[in-house]
Amino acid sequence: MDTNPSFLARHEFLIRRLHSLSGLIPVGAYMCIHLLTNASTLDSSATFQRAVYQIHSLGSILPLVEWVFIFIPILFHGIIGVVIIRGGLPNYGSYKYTSNLRYTLQRATGMIAFVFIMWHVFQMHGWFHFDVWLKGVAEPLGGAQFAPYNAASSLGAAMRGVAVPMLYVIGVLSCVFHLANGIWTMGITWGVWVSPAAQKRADRICAAFGIALAVVGLSGIGGAVRIGNSDTVYEEAVEVEEKMWNAKTASGEIDAQKALHKRSHTTDGHASAE
Amino acid sequence: MADTSQNAQRTPDSFEVRILRQGGPGQNSYWERHRVKHEQDMNVISVLQNIAANAQTVDGKAVAPVAWDCNCLEEVCGACTMVVNGRTRQACTALVDRLLEDNPKEIELQPMTKFPVLRDLMVDRSRLFRSLQKVKAWVPVDGYYDMGVGPKQTREQQEVAYPLSECMSCGCCLEACPQYTKVELTQRDDESDADFQERKNAAYDSAFIGAAAISQAVLFNAHPTGKNIAGERLDALMDEGGIQVCGNAQNCVAVCPKEIPLTTSIAKVGRQTTLHAIKKWFDR
Repeated sequence: MDTNPSFLARHEFLIRRLHSLSGLIPVGAYMCIHLLTNASTLDSSATFQRAVYQIHSLGSILPLVEWVFIFIPILFHGIIGVVIIRGGLPNYGSYKYTSNLRYTLQRATGMIAFVFIMWHVFQMHGWFHFDVWLKGVAEPLGGAQFAPYNAASSLGAAMRGVAVPMLYVIGVLSCVFHLANGIWTMGITWGVWVSPAAQKRADRICAAFGIALAVVGLSGIGGAVRIGNSDTVYEEAVEVEEKMWNAKTASGEIDAQKALHKRSHTTDGHASAE
Repeated sequence: MADTSQNAQRTPDSFEVRILRQGGPGQNSYWERHRVKHEQDMNVISVLQNIAANAQTVDGKAVAPVAWDCNCLEEVCGACTMVVNGRTRQACTALVDRLLEDNPKEIELQPMTKFPVLRDLMVDRSRLFRSLQKVKAWVPVDGYYDMGVGPKQTREQQEVAYPLSECMSCGCCLEACPQYTKVELTQRDDESDADFQERKNAAYDSAFIGAAAISQAVLFNAHPTGKNIAGERLDALMDEGGIQVCGNAQNCVAVCPKEIPLTTSIAKVGRQTTLHAIKKWFDR
């Protein structure tokens, strides 16, 4: 008989509470900022490019911030989430209650979101940013397509066609449901809303939040698809990115040589022009 | 008169009952069909009495009577809890005419799926009683001297406590819970009864404790004398298999025959354990 419970078993309470917390801070909070930033493509390619420049003004500590506040928390939340899902037996077929359906959907959307985010980060970001990986693995496999200093045009190019935007619609809506419903269950887990009446009020607020965030998320997808599918919008984006790049390198705000890897180098000759 | 003729049209002379049977622990289960003559005001218990009297399947094969548990016959003891037409409930208050309204052809009976089957519709719910031990679901007054009269409770306190005290440990909340999964062990040949009990207790303690015991912990943590050991109850609920395993499907409160506010109790324990964890973290 195994008398030594595993690490996961001994610290189950702490790990589940950290799982609950990490879903909101930092993962959920980051997702809200991410979707809002993406929706700025609807305003203009310049607005979006400005936002990306602002994020990249963190410079060489950006990878550290990405890993500590985004990638590791997502991996933690996702991996513990899989462990949690494996411990349950959804039974909506026998007990058709709304909250039971939401229990099942929370697990389904969580699995979709995890797979989607892994693919999405590979497609746009490439997972790792050392040259051997980028040139040898990520780029040949269609990853690392987003070029931060050609933000709008490289995003638009990555979102061409029908399949990719459809995957994004499914993935983003899954993430949004998972967050909105997750905030509601989190409030019960931590004991914020206790009575059925309080839980119902919280439920309405979470639903409104979810709908609003879904609109924001779909706007970002719409904005990206618009850039990719219209030659004029795409050309305008390349042009404005070129102007901003030239101004920033001319003023010395950005070291052109060091930052060249953040420019598109796949297409049209625009980007490689110095 | 009009009513009786309508009833006569509706109610069949007899109906079929499909039962999931099992000879004993660890044996294979199998479905068996019985035909039961319709009588007025039948419940599932009287159906089972009828089946025991005939002990014959629809094919005319003589079989051992179906075994089941029952006691109070008024939905206060929980002994006859089983899965009737796919839903966990007490057999005594499962009225045949209502069940036939949903499905006029047959009634389906299964033992509870989250507890080890002893025989046919009888299950071993000792895990539920173990969970009550784990959270110390009692008022600690044992000792060598008379502790005198306990503190008075206000009417408001009583009104909160009474619904929680109605729990009859039937296990419906556990049967319907997607996070509560079956734990079934078999005694080894060389294992003493005491060793087997210890192994079962360890397995029960590490699996999810379930809504019933969580709600009893809330009841006794609210009691003026019971709350003397509130911290110990919260410690038990933060152990492996504790409150953190709850997935908020809220089936427990929906199926509870006593309409106990189980999800309120779960959220209360969520709050109490949050504060308890912070207190422990900074006090140690």
